[in-house]
Amino acid sequence: MFRLIALVVVLGGVACFAQAIRFEEIAAKSGLRFELQNGEAGGFHQIELTLGGVAALDYNNDGCTDIFFTNGAAIPSLRKTGQKFSNRLFRNNCNLTFTDVTDDAGLAGEGYSMAVAAADLDNDGFTDLFVAGVKGNTLYRNLGNGRFADATSRAGLAGVDPAFGPRWAVSAGWFDYDNDGWLDLFVANYVVWDADKEPRCGTPERQYYCHPDAYRGLPNQLFHNNRDGTFSDVSQASGIQSHIGKGMGVSFADMDGDGFTDIFVANDSVRGLLFRNLGNGKFEEIGLEAGVALREDGHAIAGMGADFRDLDNDGKPDLIVSGILNDSFLLFRNLGGRSGFEDYAQRTGLLMSTRQLTGWSLGMYDFDNDGWKDLFFALAHLMQLDRYLGRESALPNRIYRSVEGKRLDDVSAGAGPALQMAAAHRGAAFADFDNDGRVDAVVSAVNGPAKLYRNITASRSHWLAIRLRGVKSNRQGLGATVHVRLADGRDLYNHATTAVGYASSSEPLVRFGLGASPVADLVEIRWPGGRVQKLTKVAVDRIVDVTEEVEP
Amino acid sequence: MGVLAGLLLAGADPASPGKLTYQKANDLFVARKFPESLAAVEEALRLDPNLVPALTLHAKLAMAANRYDLARQSLERALKVDPGASYAQFLYGMEAWMNNDMKAALPRFRRARELAPRDPRAALYLGLVTESVGKPADAMTLYEEAIRLERAAGQPQAETLLPGARLLLLLGRLDESGRWTRDAVKLAPKLRDAHFELARLLLKMGEPAQAAAEGELALTLSEGAVRDNAIHYLLIRAWQQAGKPDRAAAHAAVIRAQER
Repeated sequence: MFRLIALVVVLGGVACFAQAIRFEEIAAKSGLRFELQNGEAGGFHQIELTLGGVAALDYNNDGCTDIFFTNGAAIPSLRKTGQKFSNRLFRNNCNLTFTDVTDDAGLAGEGYSMAVAAADLDNDGFTDLFVAGVKGNTLYRNLGNGRFADATSRAGLAGVDPAFGPRWAVSAGWFDYDNDGWLDLFVANYVVWDADKEPRCGTPERQYYCHPDAYRGLPNQLFHNNRDGTFSDVSQASGIQSHIGKGMGVSFADMDGDGFTDIFVANDSVRGLLFRNLGNGKFEEIGLEAGVALREDGHAIAGMGADFRDLDNDGKPDLIVSGILNDSFLLFRNLGGRSGFEDYAQRTGLLMSTRQLTGWSLGMYDFDNDGWKDLFFALAHLMQLDRYLGRESALPNRIYRSVEGKRLDDVSAGAGPALQMAAAHRGAAFADFDNDGRVDAVVSAVNGPAKLYRNITASRSHWLAIRLRGVKSNRQGLGATVHVRLADGRDLYNHATTAVGYASSSEPLVRFGLGASPVADLVEIRWPGGRVQKLTKVAVDRIVDVTEEVEP
Repeated sequence: MGVLAGLLLAGADPASPGKLTYQKANDLFVARKFPESLAAVEEALRLDPNLVPALTLHAKLAMAANRYDLARQSLERALKVDPGASYAQFLYGMEAWMNNDMKAALPRFRRARELAPRDPRAALYLGLVTESVGKPADAMTLYEEAIRLERAAGQPQAETLLPGARLLLLLGRLDESGRWTRDAVKLAPKLRDAHFELARLLLKMGEPAQAAAEGELALTLSEGAVRDNAIHYLLIRAWQQAGKPDRAAAHAAVIRAQER
């Protein structure tokens, strides 16, 4: 009898904290008015498909996360010929409203922008921006007074390569590959493209966007931070440049626990690349050996977004990759050490349930704070395919709830009306914009209004966010892994990264849903390089600022 | 592509003023003398623009030359003349399928099924389209029907079994997938696709050494559509799991060599 009562109490407790994930869309009412313009004019230019990066960053350090949108340009000039093509920065007023501060910040930009990577590259405490694009990238240094300065030329990051000329970058990310305390830059390049040489596909009556096979792939780039505002192109010396791909999403994690951050690049219709950081400035590409290069049947999916996080809380970062219709999204479970990864999409139910989807950005976050990271996908089929698919190319976004890291249930239908609204979604960034402890999402849509999904999950679950301040490590602690132990013995894992999804950049905070636990017994931070710092009996439902302890 | 060629080489029903010329064109087609066949069928259609078998053959030739627009025109004309022309209707579905036009393919293959309920090809391709549009259970029923029809006719084909085997594998129904796959291997022991599917299955069932053996066998076979790299990729994992990292590395090296 006692056992039965105990069981009821335990199950009752679990049920109490497992609430349906719900979002409301509040972009318009919060003043977040942005329309992503791809400049299409009937030319079926490949670049029209792939833009839309978004960043969630706190550029003014007021504790409220702001939003930066990249935007397209006219074609073929690739010029931002009007304000409609302007990149935009929206300041979060800390009351769920946003103010467009683009002009004040000096961030309207130029060229056909694709992606954004946000991080504090010069360790001055202010988040800087790298905007990647077609035939040109821009580095903006945050001056700390609300303004940004174009630091591209001085930094040597314009995107013009001696061998390949100006490239088309689709994603970028900041990480400290050599653990020297300064963030380095990885740029994922897509294909060789020129408006004048755009291949024609289909018939004159039924033209469509060409398959990526019609374009030559490009190598990615790695730039080492010289700590003085300049960067050195180490693409060749590091081994990164030896591998040609058609880069889309990029994500980082220390996959093998050796203290050095590794890189995954999702490629479009060619195999994915996994660069193992050897710790000596060089990388070894091990996608084939690790089992993450291709779908299980050897098919190269149209890889788009990626996130490299620990889904099943076993301390080893797993990998999710979105793809195109009939690809199925890929989910790989990290087996640890040098054992590589196993296909986890089928076992969790993700394989078949994503087969009819086309996914762009994505994020692996614990949206209901139950202690298990869920999945959010920004979706849309390729434009102009409606007639072939027999359905609209616009799609509603989807959310998958993790059931203890073992099953992923599509809970979109019950996630509120906002999750039922279709659009040509692209970029997505994740942060807690209203500081209520629930992770929200901002999503761009091609030729349509951006969406701000406020997480309104009616959960009483506890949460904890760790805001790292590196001293020896990079200022934001990117690359640090955080382990939380709960009173019930459960272990949770996450790490600090802003490189999440597709062409986008998310908040650097390391978040945890704690379920019913009113305290975190242990918070263990492993800083880049392996130094460990521990906090005990940490009070929850708050952001905890942790400054790196450095031995004198 | 082999399956498509087989389909294109099959079926005709001559009867019209241009019958003899059409017959000659069809003979040339079967003999794979395509330019000569095209000239003959165009002559047959000059003699009788509404000759359905000639229109159908013209469509087949157009599809073989990747001129799906011309194929569509010929088939639409054939079906206007004879809405009950089942083979023309099936090819009409193929025209849409080859263009990834699932919206059009679905009703065309459905109509082909109605016109020729005993034709396993229509069931198979309707199954493939149905699977593509996200109805795996319905697709599986159609694959089962296709193979039932072939067995009833005494002509089961490995190519008909494999789509069902693959779908069953995706659905995690490993035992059933195994039955379908092993039947395909028996029917076509020289088809690499069948051995590859068996290797995939064995790997999923935790038999890496056997999977590696099947994969290595598949690599030696030329018949089939599975690409070498897909087999190499499977063999990397199979040999790793079988405790032979050197052999895994050799297959990875082959893929990398092709990428340079």
